[in-house]
Amino acid sequence: MKRERFVGHRISLLLPWLLLALSLWLVFSQVERPAALVNVGVQWARVGALAIVMTAIILTGGIDLSVGSMIALSSIVMGMLWNAGWPAEVASVLAVLVGGAAGSVNGLLVVLGLSPLVATLATMAFYSGLALMLCGGEKITKLPAPAIDTSQVAGWPSEYWVLALVFAAAMLVVHGTRFGRWCYAIGDNPIAARFAALPVRRTQWWLYTASGLVAGLLAVAYTVRKGAIPDAHQGIELEAIACVVVGGTLITGGRGGIPQTLLGIVVIANIDIGLFFLSGRFKFIGAEARLMVVGVLLIVVAMWNEWLARSDDRLETRNEGAEQT
Amino acid sequence: MNVAAPTLLKLEQVTKSFPGVRALAGVDFDLRAGEVHALVGENGAGKSTLINIISGVLQPDSGCCRLEGELCDWTDPVAARKTGIVTVHQEADFFPTLSVAENIALLHGLPTRKFGFVNWSAMQKTAQKVIGAVGEPIGAGVPADRLSVAHRHMLQIAATVLRSAKVVVLDEPTSALTSVEASWLFEQVARLKAEGVGVIYISHRQEEVLALSDRITVLRDGRKIWTKDRQDVDGKLLIQAMVGRDLEASSSELQPRPGSATVDAGQDHVVPRLEVCDLNDGKGRFQGINFHLDAGEIIGVYGLIGAGRTEMARAIFGLEPVVSGRVLVDGEPIKIRRPQDAVRAGIAYLPEDRLREGLCRGLTIRANAVLPTLDRWTQLFRPSGETAFSYSSHPPHQEPWIKRWSLGLLANRPVEKQVTRQVVQQLEVRQRTIEQPISQLSGGNQQKVVLGRWLLAAPKVMILDEPTRGVDVGAKAEIHRILRQIADRGCAILMISSELPEIQRHSDRIMVLRSGKISDQWAAAEVTATQIAEAALPGEKASEQTARDRNQSRHRTARGVGEWGLATVIAVLGVWLSLTSENFFSWSNFGNLMAETALWSVLGLAAATVIVVGGIDISIGSLLALSAACAGLLFKLPLPPEISIPLAILAALAVGLAGGLLNGFLALVGKVHPIVVTLGMMIVYRGMVIALVSGRQISSVPEAFGWISIYPASGFRAAIVLGLVVSLVLYVIHVHRRAGRHLYALGSSASAARLVGLSHAKTWLFAFALGGLLTGIAAVMVLSASMQMQSQLAKGWELQAIAVAVIGGVSITGGRGTVPGVILGAVLLRLVNLALVRWEIRGEQVDVFVGGLILAAVLLDLFLRKRGT
Repeated sequence: MKRERFVGHRISLLLPWLLLALSLWLVFSQVERPAALVNVGVQWARVGALAIVMTAIILTGGIDLSVGSMIALSSIVMGMLWNAGWPAEVASVLAVLVGGAAGSVNGLLVVLGLSPLVATLATMAFYSGLALMLCGGEKITKLPAPAIDTSQVAGWPSEYWVLALVFAAAMLVVHGTRFGRWCYAIGDNPIAARFAALPVRRTQWWLYTASGLVAGLLAVAYTVRKGAIPDAHQGIELEAIACVVVGGTLITGGRGGIPQTLLGIVVIANIDIGLFFLSGRFKFIGAEARLMVVGVLLIVVAMWNEWLARSDDRLETRNEGAEQT
Repeated sequence: MNVAAPTLLKLEQVTKSFPGVRALAGVDFDLRAGEVHALVGENGAGKSTLINIISGVLQPDSGCCRLEGELCDWTDPVAARKTGIVTVHQEADFFPTLSVAENIALLHGLPTRKFGFVNWSAMQKTAQKVIGAVGEPIGAGVPADRLSVAHRHMLQIAATVLRSAKVVVLDEPTSALTSVEASWLFEQVARLKAEGVGVIYISHRQEEVLALSDRITVLRDGRKIWTKDRQDVDGKLLIQAMVGRDLEASSSELQPRPGSATVDAGQDHVVPRLEVCDLNDGKGRFQGINFHLDAGEIIGVYGLIGAGRTEMARAIFGLEPVVSGRVLVDGEPIKIRRPQDAVRAGIAYLPEDRLREGLCRGLTIRANAVLPTLDRWTQLFRPSGETAFSYSSHPPHQEPWIKRWSLGLLANRPVEKQVTRQVVQQLEVRQRTIEQPISQLSGGNQQKVVLGRWLLAAPKVMILDEPTRGVDVGAKAEIHRILRQIADRGCAILMISSELPEIQRHSDRIMVLRSGKISDQWAAAEVTATQIAEAALPGEKASEQTARDRNQSRHRTARGVGEWGLATVIAVLGVWLSLTSENFFSWSNFGNLMAETALWSVLGLAAATVIVVGGIDISIGSLLALSAACAGLLFKLPLPPEISIPLAILAALAVGLAGGLLNGFLALVGKVHPIVVTLGMMIVYRGMVIALVSGRQISSVPEAFGWISIYPASGFRAAIVLGLVVSLVLYVIHVHRRAGRHLYALGSSASAARLVGLSHAKTWLFAFALGGLLTGIAAVMVLSASMQMQSQLAKGWELQAIAVAVIGGVSITGGRGTVPGVILGAVLLRLVNLALVRWEIRGEQVDVFVGGLILAAVLLDLFLRKRGT
């Protein structure tokens, strides 16, 4: 019996949309000046850009826990070079390249056969420790003024432009090119992908490298705005993964997409900002409570997504029996 | 054979269907005590389904099954085994990281002594008995993944024989054995017979069936053809029943393929489509493969399982490495290292295992259909005319400037839909819409889509590996018709099949592979089924040689770096440190080192316990802080120290246990990977810590609590004793308790664990609970050291805990690791920390080395494992 499978997709978006409605209400019932949201949301634009690249990686069944450390490393490199007198433009380009290099090392480890979990867990430690070593544990905040003030472009903080750029690029690549199709196939069945003559290892390597490049880009934006602070980026990987999961992408890969992640970003950002405003009124909601909500949402929605996916599959398991004669 | 022997097993009118396929239709089968009853039939005849029903893997749709008169109502293989039906499958699941002795023991449950401790000596004795019965030099302590397939098989059979069962099912037992080992097998079968056990023997090999069996049952297309006594059967009758028609008439009865040319020896002026010269796989699975294929020709490749057909096909397609030999397409030699090279040369491969190797089940029909050929369907704009594909050797016409513009990158959905619809139409795939998930189609239609996927590539050579396996009769005929059409339009087809009628009816030429070599080739119209079947049977010499190569168990000893290597590194580092720093060996320094090692041993064991079972926990640091916070808060209560201290300790342990259990529970029930669960819980626990601690002083800790501290005021470090005690207890659990051994079993192979009846849930939760408990113990040690709480306590410690475990030899993939190793890992990490302090590297900069060490350890483990296979 073949039932309509698209019901599953509709239900799976129900939860994120509900959360979105809730979060929007939360925010707009509290905020007095919507314009203030732009500045508050800068950090979420940062998370968002990472989440979008992370979506592509998670689609292939992988994960990248080292994004925060890669930002730290690139930021420190840029800060140190800039401080030492290098022109800001050169320092920026080098920072992005450092991010790319870090990402490509991740990619190499995964291609060699390490599980992405272990590889990026180890490089997370390695890169953040390296960043601290390079700067001697001191943050670099007194940076020479740049020739052009790039912290804002056309009235919007540059992080938003990075987000827009990454979103556009990801939409094009993941949903418009062969490369994106390969990602879905690899996440669904890496063996079948290999048998279908897809370049599995090359695809994976490029994804992790892209993650590093985006981290480098974000590092530049952050350093220009606030300076090179090595421990300011811890925990961002959790937030990024939460955005991906809440948007409806399966952590096991093969299902999901970029627009879903955008939804997830908006939901989580709004919940966090809403709680932030609420904490002004209710003292017990502190910074840690907001973070806890993200953690709980991550687990609950991940479980919900898996349950949905399995109830979809249960409708189709009968077809598998034919293989056993 | 005793005619009056009682009936052991009786199946009546068993029917089993899958969507689109009637696997068994009203089959009757019975087995008597002390008889060998052979079950014979081609692939797809229903043998495996019948066996799966008998062994409890599947439930029949209708009909009943009785064992000694009692209805068989078991729902899983474990229950079936308990009632006395033991099955030795062709592909046996085993625990690769556990020793031979343990593998044998786990088949029937680990033996125990008094108080529930694992009885290692009984295990060893049983293992020696089994190995003795096998008669080969196999070490009982060797990890099972180093054994050859043949040895593993023989051990399983021997273990089954030594254990009393009522019914033993042997599924193709000699497929991995040489004739010498096969005669050992026959002795075992004779033993079983003598003991009154009923044996169901499945085999392709005629001479075995005729030599061993008392009765023979033939299945074909899901029906029982007949059951006869051995003396009433001869080879001819057997093949006739299996294949379904009279052999002598077969040659003329067979319709020669319309339009097929007979093999003409003098056709050298035509360059063959595909030429394979002297292809050799370095591992002995195929050698000296030499053949050619002309355009428009279909060559059928027959052979037994293990003959090397699939390996050869995969090698031509670039999925497996080739040591020597050449492949030429249209006369041009091709260097094929990866599948992409093969596709570019015009070769396509339809894999044998549709589910695992062919389909992306979550993707739509369209997505599956265009997967390898996406670069052909890239156009910037909608095409004005039809984009037809044809079976010819030229790719469909495409505007060159558009292709250059889009760099072949952009995927074009309308074009994809168009070509998918065309191919779906021409192959008559029964679907509702091409945007349907492919998993909703029946097996035959799925196979057509996979076939269509390669048709879209307009290949010059098409290699099909069992194209109609598990496909219903109607779809089978359609696929055959399509193959003929493709061949008629110029494609050269290599069809691997285990079904004689298919080979005979749909090939121009027939080639038989035997033990990795081509044993014979004929034109299809000039050979009979018997000749083909006989050419596939291994002769004594041939099978000896290749099987002997495959049987080499790798007796390579210890994997290089083990505990000895670790100890050496530690010794070297220790010596260097003592030489370069002045008072390294002062009592207090050394004592500090030992106490810190104790703490990190406990944490390392917490991480290791979870990793061994196949999970991971990155919330250890936060959970430790939470346990410490709860304990610390208890001290604020107005209680005398004699009560508050034990209470606090209890609280810490309880919180740790609860937290670990919660992690494991969420991962198990929510079916979410532990990394995601513990990532989230890490934040939740930390949030709880901050909520509990911030703004509050935990200052009323009684002095006596500091006794357990790592850095106590007094000289005596109780922490070291505590660490030793904990390590000892963990050692006992991991090595001498069944629950502990089950951890290793589950981490080694979850599927094998399921087969032997291990409770996945209990073992998993036990691991996480134990890990949480150890975290609680560590919390007590830490709290007593600092005598106060900060909200950022133990931040990032999970990483070091994992490092300790991984450096100590715990494999990140699960199933391997030792307690002494973890302790050594803790020592090494503390020494590294000390060394780093001397180099002025402090705080979180240490993470560079932690991360680097984890990578080094994991890469080393990966490298050693790859070298071992």
